[in-house]
Amino acid sequence: MTSGRLYDIQGFSVQDGPGIRTTAFLKGCPLRCPWCHSPESQAFNKQLSWMSMRCLGLEACNSRCMKACPKDAIEEGPLKTDVQTGAQLRTVHVKRDLCDNCGACADKCYAEALTMCGKDYTSEELVNRLLQDRNFFENSGGGVTISGGEPLCQIDFVVEVLKGLKENGIHTALDTTGFAPWETLERTMPYVDLYLYDLKHMDSAKHKATVAVPNEQIKENVKKLAEHGKALQIRIPVIPRFNEDEENIRATAEFCVGLGSAVQVIQLLPYHNMGVMKYLRISDGKPLEATPPSDEKMEHLRDIMASYGLNVTIH
Amino acid sequence: MYQNVPISERVQKIRAMYRSKKPKIDINRYRIVTEFYMANPQLPGILKRGRVMRELFEKMPTPVRDHELIVGHPGEEFRSSALYPEHSFYWFFDEIDTFPTRGTDPYDLDPEDRAYIEKTGHFWDKNCTCAMIDDIYPDEYRDYVCGNGVLNFLPVNNCQHPIGHYCGNYWTVVDKGLGSVLEEARAKKKEMLERGLQGNEGQTFQFYRAIELVTEGIIIYTKRYAKECLRQAETCTDPQRKAELLDMADRLDRVIEKPCESYHDALQACFLYQLALLLESQPHGISYGRLDQYCGKYLEADLASGKLTKEQAQELTDMFILKVAEINKVWSERATKSGPGYTAGQLITLGGIDRDGNDATNTMTYMVMQSSARLKLHNPPLALRLHAGTPDKLWEAGIETTKQVGGVPCFEWDDTAIEALVRRGIPLEDARNYTLIGCVEPCACGNDFANSGGDGHDSYTILPAALWCAINNGVNPGKFPGSTDKPTGVQCGYLKDMTSMQQVLDAYKAQIDYFCKWQVTMLNCYEYIYAMNMPLPMLSATLTGCMESGKDAMWGGAQYNNTGNTSIGHGNVADSLNIIDQVCFRDKIATPAELYDALINNWEGHEDLHQYILGKCVHFGNNDPEADKYLKFVADTYSEAITRGYGPRGNHLTAGCWPVTLNVVYGGWVAATPDGRKSGTPLSDGISPVQSMDKNGPFATINSILKFDQANYANGTLCNMKFHPTALQGAEGDKKLRAVMETYFKGGGMELQINVVSAKMLREAQEKPKDYEDLVVRIAGFSAYFVEVYKAAQDDLIRRTEMSV
Repeated sequence: MTSGRLYDIQGFSVQDGPGIRTTAFLKGCPLRCPWCHSPESQAFNKQLSWMSMRCLGLEACNSRCMKACPKDAIEEGPLKTDVQTGAQLRTVHVKRDLCDNCGACADKCYAEALTMCGKDYTSEELVNRLLQDRNFFENSGGGVTISGGEPLCQIDFVVEVLKGLKENGIHTALDTTGFAPWETLERTMPYVDLYLYDLKHMDSAKHKATVAVPNEQIKENVKKLAEHGKALQIRIPVIPRFNEDEENIRATAEFCVGLGSAVQVIQLLPYHNMGVMKYLRISDGKPLEATPPSDEKMEHLRDIMASYGLNVTIH
Repeated sequence: MYQNVPISERVQKIRAMYRSKKPKIDINRYRIVTEFYMANPQLPGILKRGRVMRELFEKMPTPVRDHELIVGHPGEEFRSSALYPEHSFYWFFDEIDTFPTRGTDPYDLDPEDRAYIEKTGHFWDKNCTCAMIDDIYPDEYRDYVCGNGVLNFLPVNNCQHPIGHYCGNYWTVVDKGLGSVLEEARAKKKEMLERGLQGNEGQTFQFYRAIELVTEGIIIYTKRYAKECLRQAETCTDPQRKAELLDMADRLDRVIEKPCESYHDALQACFLYQLALLLESQPHGISYGRLDQYCGKYLEADLASGKLTKEQAQELTDMFILKVAEINKVWSERATKSGPGYTAGQLITLGGIDRDGNDATNTMTYMVMQSSARLKLHNPPLALRLHAGTPDKLWEAGIETTKQVGGVPCFEWDDTAIEALVRRGIPLEDARNYTLIGCVEPCACGNDFANSGGDGHDSYTILPAALWCAINNGVNPGKFPGSTDKPTGVQCGYLKDMTSMQQVLDAYKAQIDYFCKWQVTMLNCYEYIYAMNMPLPMLSATLTGCMESGKDAMWGGAQYNNTGNTSIGHGNVADSLNIIDQVCFRDKIATPAELYDALINNWEGHEDLHQYILGKCVHFGNNDPEADKYLKFVADTYSEAITRGYGPRGNHLTAGCWPVTLNVVYGGWVAATPDGRKSGTPLSDGISPVQSMDKNGPFATINSILKFDQANYANGTLCNMKFHPTALQGAEGDKKLRAVMETYFKGGGMELQINVVSAKMLREAQEKPKDYEDLVVRIAGFSAYFVEVYKAAQDDLIRRTEMSV
């Protein structure tokens, strides 16, 4: 039995496939999308996460985190105002260059302001955890979605989990960037009912320049899935100044038409900046921020794609 | 997709009046009752009640307002409120200066009315049932148990509310008319006199006399309204209104006495019978029952024959609902905190299956829901019964309504409620015909004397206070002011000396058994006084079993009987036991002595342990088998102990778990609890986990809650869920909400009430109440306009976990 690493499990997930679902988010991804709204999904290692909101202040906890850190990586940080009392509380700052993500501080942070992002499960543990929610799947026509990160990076684990779910009659969806050798993706086919498949840009050079990998393999893989008749839900994140131009949208539409009847729906996912704060939890840096596309813009793009005879939704 | 139809101009006007008019105290009822009681000390209970009702029917004002098609009100002015001094009146004097200005539910009081009350009110000091009850308690309770913080019978001023929470038999009202009951009472009297009163029939004879008085009285009262309509018609210059008034006069001359002939008849008759019940006793959970079942057939007949158009029928339904909404009751400030927002608890039940198990939805089911949704009315509260065969359209209507009017309707699952009633001993067919009473209490409709809310506060057992007795040698540090310092519970030692979890559990069970035994004792003392002094002949005139047996409902005349109890703090105790086990015995993070010391000191000096418990321990509510394992123990320990007792009407007591907003009020007394709760903060809500401790999302919360058998709670359970609007957008969102609800119900859930509002919106409403005047939220067993709720309850609502994506 293999183990895998997750950064989250979310119940009551209503947009990752049919019905009400539980989504398991696997940690680690080969892509580096600058708009990524889950930056903690990118690195494969466990990471120290810091949420200022939960911090009780160094006085209240007697600086337990600072005392616990063997690397002296935690220093006094900015003041914050307590929501309830209005008191000024001294929070902390993690010196990321010194921190080796050992987790000693998180053990001592009872308020869970400092936590370790990344939890390991055996495939059996994860299947059992996901099966706890099966009464919700049964009543809603839902199931489990395996997402990431890029789940294909933990392929042995993913196959075991998917297999375990199918043995229990659970509807499965795999949310993937498609960036993996075909032989890897192929292994999931017997156990996946629906692929949520990202197409970010049709131009490979632009794809590589922005998300760090080219797109040929991604396009080839999705064609093969379509040839095998696997159900596809194509997801297109609409990112300002990257892929929102009409030319790319038309090229994407044409590509999707080429995939034939396997494509059930195309989801246009407008860029949002709610992930920005999450960068500060795991690093000192913030990604570039952009203005989310307007509703009119989204509707315009939807209409273009729909004009190719495709079933398109926004969100 | 289910859609609302437009509101008529007339209805819009009434609604605007309803939302803008500040309620006022009307002393007509007070004056009639006081003068009658002063003049007639010689009358025994049943006759006194029959005669005073007759006085009220002959002397109460009979207002007919310009806009009305359905009439009746227990006072002169729109939204005015009657007083009930015969139950309790000390509290009124204590608060007489603050009624117009108090923070929650203020009332105006005219200076001359106030002067009259001040002149006469002290008559009630020794003549109200409250005073009688204070005097008959066992000394052993007063000296040793009273004020312990677990039970709510206090040294004085007990039972400010009468026995309430019941529902009459409206089928008799609409299908037969009370004229038939009057004839029956006369015939019974005649027959008894002819053969001579035998055995106990001295009492039976007085019962039928009282029935004769009240049934004749309500017919007189109805005809007085007819006269008032005629009087107004004579001088009315608007031909359309004149025709309406003449039509109303014709109707009021007929209904109540005789069977109804139309939907309009049925609504008018039901409203007046309910009004008569509200003249007999305070609006304390007196419920309408299955309104769509006894009125629906009249609506469908009128629509089929063309007597009414759908629009006319909807307007009548709107006006009926607004009439019900207009009624409220003046409570003491303490009691108002349990039910803020001018609520009168006149619950209406809709939908569900019929006696044969078939779906019973009809046109009226939808119309009543329309009225609440379009008019955004929290009052009257609605309950929608759901079952496997509920039509999709009714699901949609229910969900759309609850999205527009937070928590209206509340949803009840037939399988669980019916199973609970069958376990209570009610045959399946009658159990299928159940209604909800008050907030969420199931009872058979029309033949069951529910008494499901006791007198209000006194039906509550505060479980976390019992836990304190268990770990502190029988002493609750959060006892009520002025009570004895002696140990009030069973002396089972201190947590600091306990060496195993079993010892803790045994100590807790011993307290619950002990306090439930006292609860039964006190309730039965209280029923004795009520049976003697406060029979309910107006209710007994219709409630199946009473006329047949010649016994008032208070004497056990109804076909079925119940004495409902309720409890607060399941979540806190289940989680506290889990934490004691985890921290002291399993993980050995702290010794029992350390935890005990932390609790006694409200966590001061033990901040590390407190933070550890809040942040690092696994809490009840996260679907963790270990952390959830004490819920069933807590639920069963209470329900078994309270159900063991039985009352004077022959029935066993029943367990419930619904806090209204008393989880906030009683939390104020309860000292720090092992779950990490600080002294004085709210207790857990309904059967839900402790606020903010369910960190794993809605699936885990629901699956944790489902770990006890709710069918053992025949007096109802209450589960609040709050969803973020973004989680439930559009038709897909409705389907998903339905799936969540079905999952809860099929897993053994009984009741659900749903708020679709964001915490952010509620905070904004706190800051800018003017902008959110119509925002309705489910508070507890009822809904209210959010801005009318007192701040602590608002805060509690915001704290409840928001279930969101």
